[in-house]
Amino acid sequence: MIFLQDVNDWKNEIIERGKTFVENVKSSRQKAVQVGERFITDGATILTHGYSRTVKTLLLKAAQKKKFKVIVTEGRPECLGYRYAEELSLHEIPVTIILDSAVGRIMERVDFVIVGAENVTENGGVINKLGTYPLALTAVAAHKPVYGIVESFKFARLYPLRQDDLPPSQDETVNFSSVPPNKNTATKDLVKFFNPLFDFTPPSYIQLLFTDLGVLTPSAVSDELIKLCPN
Amino acid sequence: MPQNANLSDVITLISDIKHGKVFSSYEIALRTENLLEKVISEEKWANAKELMQQIKGKIQQVTQSLPLETTATNIMRHILKVIREECDQVSKKKGEGQSLHQLVTADQSEERDYSESHGDLKNCLLDHLTEYKVELETSTENIAAQALEHIHTKEIILTVGKSNTVEKFLKHAAGQRSFQVIVVEAGPLYHGHKMAASLALSGIQTTVIPDSGVFAMMSRVNKVIIGTHSVMADGGLRAASGVHGVALAAKHYSVPVMVLAHMYKLTPSYVCSHEKDTFKMCASPANIIPYSTGPLLNKINVYNPIFDYVPPELVTLFISHQGGNAPSYVYRLLSELYHPDDYELY
Repeated sequence: MIFLQDVNDWKNEIIERGKTFVENVKSSRQKAVQVGERFITDGATILTHGYSRTVKTLLLKAAQKKKFKVIVTEGRPECLGYRYAEELSLHEIPVTIILDSAVGRIMERVDFVIVGAENVTENGGVINKLGTYPLALTAVAAHKPVYGIVESFKFARLYPLRQDDLPPSQDETVNFSSVPPNKNTATKDLVKFFNPLFDFTPPSYIQLLFTDLGVLTPSAVSDELIKLCPN
Repeated sequence: MPQNANLSDVITLISDIKHGKVFSSYEIALRTENLLEKVISEEKWANAKELMQQIKGKIQQVTQSLPLETTATNIMRHILKVIREECDQVSKKKGEGQSLHQLVTADQSEERDYSESHGDLKNCLLDHLTEYKVELETSTENIAAQALEHIHTKEIILTVGKSNTVEKFLKHAAGQRSFQVIVVEAGPLYHGHKMAASLALSGIQTTVIPDSGVFAMMSRVNKVIIGTHSVMADGGLRAASGVHGVALAAKHYSVPVMVLAHMYKLTPSYVCSHEKDTFKMCASPANIIPYSTGPLLNKINVYNPIFDYVPPELVTLFISHQGGNAPSYVYRLLSELYHPDDYELY
């Protein structure tokens, strides 16, 4: 603890701390990747969902020393899966793109699933792109491990009990279809759209989280959060 | 870099383990503890940093030669934590590892070097080691003392193969409760027979069943009590071959699985790949098909893996000398035993 008398000293200290924080945050992705690299084994088939830069960094780093295959979901409605697959294949990783709904069909060929996260909730669950929850459900039903790779600054003091507890981050009624639902203009407004960005995956479906603080089991996340805010 | 002379004690230990002169985890633990006592009292080191470098060198040597032999490395890691704690106590500085709190407050705490010289360190460490040795020696009795909390009259307990810890546990309870034990043979060496004979001599009603009979008998069993080789960081087990099947049968019938594990069996590593971390170590295939079978052996592959991995969902409780813990709590026990910087030393 540092006690400062002058407002200017105070300001400078906060600015310094802010700079240190940014430095730490920049290195946290690399640390998380270093932790998770060991779990990517030679000859593995990896399934991933959504365009996560952390997962991409992990896969590219592991590809320098090991040979493995990646299966990427299309990721509607943004369809970032195509760009993701292109970027991975430029580094000579064999990539397959599948429809989001093909996850159940392909799960038996997969060795493990790895996803990034927007947030990690207090109980160790993960908030990630829409579709992560059914992917994790399918993986657990097929006895395949689900790993998350996430930097520790994404740990949040959120504790959703149900999917609807997630705050909406955009207009969830926007039309995402390129095909018009019906041609009858009189009933056009009767058809509603539900288009959330994220879903919540409960901790029981996640095996391990690779973070810059090391490998954590979901139950260890709340310990870290408690240390952060002692009250 | 540690010179070869310093590693000769570790090399002797590794060679004894490989040749089967030191077999049980308990004996390996005692040998490692003696080795560390010698290092601290007789080797030359000027400060904590040099001592830790020496011990880390030994851990690396053991990990390279015997990657699945975790007892020795776990005890050495624990001693590294004890050394760090001693230094922190003296210099009254907290050498906190990475934590979310440190990240967010962006505390400018310096890297702990541990290179201050500390006059009394040797004696403090030797005191700690003596305490630790007593803890090791009484660990089995302390686990056995908890038997009465877990075993009740007229229960049917199932165990697999031979484990000294489980044997003492059951015999302690048999002094005051009457219950039955079913022992699984555990091929191909059938250690279960010796276990059953020993239990029967103490007056416990014992039944021996073959490995294939586990599922059939599981519906009658009240509890499964087993030992293990190591406890992984996610709460899973690296146990003797066949235990995974027993655990699955127990899960099917909702029978609780209790694992008796000493603290030195808790290892901070994970099973990343079954081929490398579990099924790599195999015993002689002659135990399964003898060499006298002749030319047939040219046409078949025989595997005799020693270990099995049991995922944490199948384990109900870990019983150590400090009490019972759920598998999801193992991360907390690890953080108390080892310092995060010592988790991976390869």
